[in-house]
Amino acid sequence: MSVTTISQILGHMNFGHTLAALWLPHGESTFSPPVQFLWDFWYWMSVFFTLLIVGLVVFFSIRYRYTKNRTIADHSPSHNNPLEITWTAIPLIIVMVMFALGFKTYMNMDSPPANSYNIHVIAQKWSWTFVYENGAISNTLYLPVNKPVKLNMTSKDVLHGFWIPDLSIQRDVVPGRVMTTWVEATHPGKYVLQCAEYCGDGHSEMRANVVVEAYPKFQRQILAAANIFEEDGKPLPLATVGKKLYTTLGCLGCHSVDGSKGTGPTWKDLAGSKEVLANGRTVSVNYAFLKTMITHPGRVLIKGFPAGVMPSYGSRFTGKNVKNLYAVVWYINSLSKYANKASEPPVPNLPKGSEPASSSKSGSAAATPATATAGAKAPAAAATAVAKVPAGPKPVPLHVLGAKLYTSLGCIGCHTVNGQPGVGPTWKNLAGYPQKLTNGKTVIADYQFLRTMIIDPGKLDVVGVPAGVMPTMYKYQLSGKKHPHETKLNALIWYINTLSNRSSKATQPPVPDVPAAK
Amino acid sequence: MTTVTGSNFGDTPVVPAKPDNYLTHGKTISSWLLTLDHKRIGIMYLITALLAFFIGGMLAEVIRTQLLVPQGLVFHGTGSVASSYAAYRYYNQVFTLHGIIMVFLVLIPIIPGALGNFALPLLLGAKDVAFPKLNLISFYLYVAGAVLAIVSTVLGAVDTGWTFYTPFSIQTESYVVVMVLGIFLVGFSSIFTGINFMVTIHKLRPPGMTWFRMPLFLWSIYATSLIQVAATPVVGITFVLLMMERVMGIGIFNPALGGNPVLFQEFFWFYSHPAVYIMILPAMGIVSEIIPVFSRKHIFGYEFIALSSLAIALIGFLVWGHHIFVNGQSAELDAVFSFLTFIVAVPSAIKVWNWLATMYKGAIVLKTPMLYALSFIVLFTIGGLTGVVLGALSEDVVLHDTYFVVGHFHYVMMGGTLIGFIAGLHYWWPKMFGRMYNERIAQWTCVILFIGINLTFFPQLMVGADGMPRRYASYLPMYQPYMIVSTIGAYIQLVAFLSMASYLMHSLFYGKKAPVNPWGAASLDWETSSPPPHDNFETTPSVGDPYDYADLVFDSGINGYVRTEKPADSPIPVTARH
Repeated sequence: MSVTTISQILGHMNFGHTLAALWLPHGESTFSPPVQFLWDFWYWMSVFFTLLIVGLVVFFSIRYRYTKNRTIADHSPSHNNPLEITWTAIPLIIVMVMFALGFKTYMNMDSPPANSYNIHVIAQKWSWTFVYENGAISNTLYLPVNKPVKLNMTSKDVLHGFWIPDLSIQRDVVPGRVMTTWVEATHPGKYVLQCAEYCGDGHSEMRANVVVEAYPKFQRQILAAANIFEEDGKPLPLATVGKKLYTTLGCLGCHSVDGSKGTGPTWKDLAGSKEVLANGRTVSVNYAFLKTMITHPGRVLIKGFPAGVMPSYGSRFTGKNVKNLYAVVWYINSLSKYANKASEPPVPNLPKGSEPASSSKSGSAAATPATATAGAKAPAAAATAVAKVPAGPKPVPLHVLGAKLYTSLGCIGCHTVNGQPGVGPTWKNLAGYPQKLTNGKTVIADYQFLRTMIIDPGKLDVVGVPAGVMPTMYKYQLSGKKHPHETKLNALIWYINTLSNRSSKATQPPVPDVPAAK
Repeated sequence: MTTVTGSNFGDTPVVPAKPDNYLTHGKTISSWLLTLDHKRIGIMYLITALLAFFIGGMLAEVIRTQLLVPQGLVFHGTGSVASSYAAYRYYNQVFTLHGIIMVFLVLIPIIPGALGNFALPLLLGAKDVAFPKLNLISFYLYVAGAVLAIVSTVLGAVDTGWTFYTPFSIQTESYVVVMVLGIFLVGFSSIFTGINFMVTIHKLRPPGMTWFRMPLFLWSIYATSLIQVAATPVVGITFVLLMMERVMGIGIFNPALGGNPVLFQEFFWFYSHPAVYIMILPAMGIVSEIIPVFSRKHIFGYEFIALSSLAIALIGFLVWGHHIFVNGQSAELDAVFSFLTFIVAVPSAIKVWNWLATMYKGAIVLKTPMLYALSFIVLFTIGGLTGVVLGALSEDVVLHDTYFVVGHFHYVMMGGTLIGFIAGLHYWWPKMFGRMYNERIAQWTCVILFIGINLTFFPQLMVGADGMPRRYASYLPMYQPYMIVSTIGAYIQLVAFLSMASYLMHSLFYGKKAPVNPWGAASLDWETSSPPPHDNFETTPSVGDPYDYADLVFDSGINGYVRTEKPADSPIPVTARH
């Protein structure tokens, strides 16, 4: 009300935009104009007062200087209450106006619109990974123009700062929490995301490109990003894919490929070589050893390297992601002159045909649309492929949809599916198992329990799970008027059921897994 | 000009009429190390803090040299990404040490420890502080903390930044526990000094010196002591918790154990924001002393300046949340902190207006202390105004953790606290050592330093507004022009500081003898000889208005001021009369 009135009145004044624009970058999001406006207000206010104060200091020093003929001060009062009140009130009024303007914009920054597109941001030392609603993963942040995007951010290790100067957004990424912010870009362009919160050795290089495009082009980009195993529809050698993963998963932060020293062992000439472990044993670096090093880094330690530094990549390399493991190990083999049969992965470097993953059942279904359109040059092809996913002739089983939602909604940030501990409970063997509540009761994780945990997490306090961490936003994304059939919610619960060996009628959603074909 | 007769400058009697002064009172090393004399303890603080400042300053020059080129000039990789990161760790250690040394070993103790210890009892006309032994313990706690900081640096330099944010500070391999223990001890030094000064001001004021007839430096020291006593225990406990988290894994800050990393930030800033006022308030007090003396005019708005110090101290406790606007605390809470942050800006503005009103119609002498006090007003204005925009919520989002913040707090800490300290050092130097420095060189040095500070930190404001984050060992090439200018400024500052060190050292041995009252100040510290005798005053001086300069006139024979007539109600001690 009053805040709005003040800002409307001030909004009609022009605070010399050009000079102030020397300072802040020309903002390209819906937040930028109000931020720039308050900046201009402050800037000219500051210029005025600085010039006034410097002017008075200089003027008094000259006008009232001490000379041989003027050794004592002129008579003037040493206090004056009306004057004191005046110069207390003027700064007070100015700062209150600034408070009101800043607060108004900030509340808007804090409230993402309900129709936002969701992107999950994963920060780790020292790389950014972005997961889109279609499950695509990229290290470049793709954003659509004129569409609000909500960023759900998690950190795998320490504090990081999500900071895009050109889009006027910043948010710290705190480990153990889902941090959210949102942005609506107003112009296509290429910008830079920089880590703003100090995070160690590679902090100053923890950057990502930000590409803002019109919505259709944005969709094509994330579809192309969805399949790293192919280029222009042709499968890539696994070693080439591994090289990409070396960058995108952040391995490069600690492991060099040229023999130079880093926090972790160099990958040059590693595969097939002999290494001494911290416990004194000598082992030859074969496939099994490399696999353990990547998926369970706590189990083995090469001598001379610190323990507990290597993040547990676990789920990124196991289950349906086991292809990533093959790719990275092939890449490590390609860097070593000692590489041999024992150090190579069990699958050939170049996968047969266009079928990259034969190892995972659910993986092949998920990969289908991406395979058909990877690197699509023709927008029409992309558009039809998008349409095929939900309404194609062959309906996708709900648990497969759930597995995709697990990534795209950001569940992956806190819940593992392999039994490892995370911020939230693991989904492995969750359904059908007894859960201890903080009020002392024990309940079986049935359908109702799982449903409540997802859409109304404040209602149930499970022992060992920190309260208030699970976001409440899923209620609006998965349930309510906008989602009369709760398809996505049921898909997630079906997925959780597939991960448990105690799945039963009581834990499964009331709708069947394979939706009826239309 | 006197010739040097011994290796210790104190060996030379500088006031012939009074051969024994506090510097010559005892000549053995233990007479210094075990002294209970507040003036000697002040000098020992001065030497230690200046040594720390030298180290911190050289680290700053390394930082600025590194940032001359985007990939880093001092620490850079050999081609691979992993080797760059390994090299950047050294840079991270350098800026961490720079921050820790400057904040905990220089900015917090330097004015209360060195100038406060020296001047506070003199300003009160007292023989010493209330608890001389506690005072010495404070000094040795400070030294012990500094030694532990050196030990941790030798064992494995800390790379956490001076803020020790969790969980990074829990995970890093460096010797965080030893460093934090050192700061813990320095914290106790700060608490003891605060208690000591508070009691001294309460109990040792001479008859006639009511609260509102105290020199304003005492008000600012009193407000500072309040913060030291109330806030420092919090950071002590926080650091103990951090040590327990690292050593025992108690799971309070570590998210992997169910802890809350943001809790550390709340605790840390609950102390460290008030600590900013621990640093700036004494400097404001010094400026409030110097401006009236060199304007030859009574301070304007005494009560407003005095009470604004208390207002800053009290409101300063309630604004810590503005350091963590973007870390996800609730927006409503952010709003409260933003509001209070704006409120705390007002008392600072009041002080500036009152200083300017004091100069109005004065007879302004631009001697070195006054030049530094005026530099303070200008630099602090820039520092304060850039702080105002950071308090606005929407603007903080685009400025948080950028070089704008770095520029802002360097304007306040360097342009404010340190310039205030230097002003006070030049003001009390004749009283401390009984020698005058070369005025002309000192004035030019002040001008060079003023230029250097602006060249260093103004480009940092600009590059920060443009988006460059802080604590970067390398940066995007588009920021390079700003970084080059900033580095040139840092080198100019180095020249100014080397010049200052030279003429001050020179004055100790070859400087002209200082008169009792070289500046014509009316407070009690200038009523005793320069340097003062061991017991400060021959007779207890009687109290007048500390800002009444009417009866002080310049005597060119002694190059100092003397009182022309004895006010009927205040007998002036013999020492002040010549």
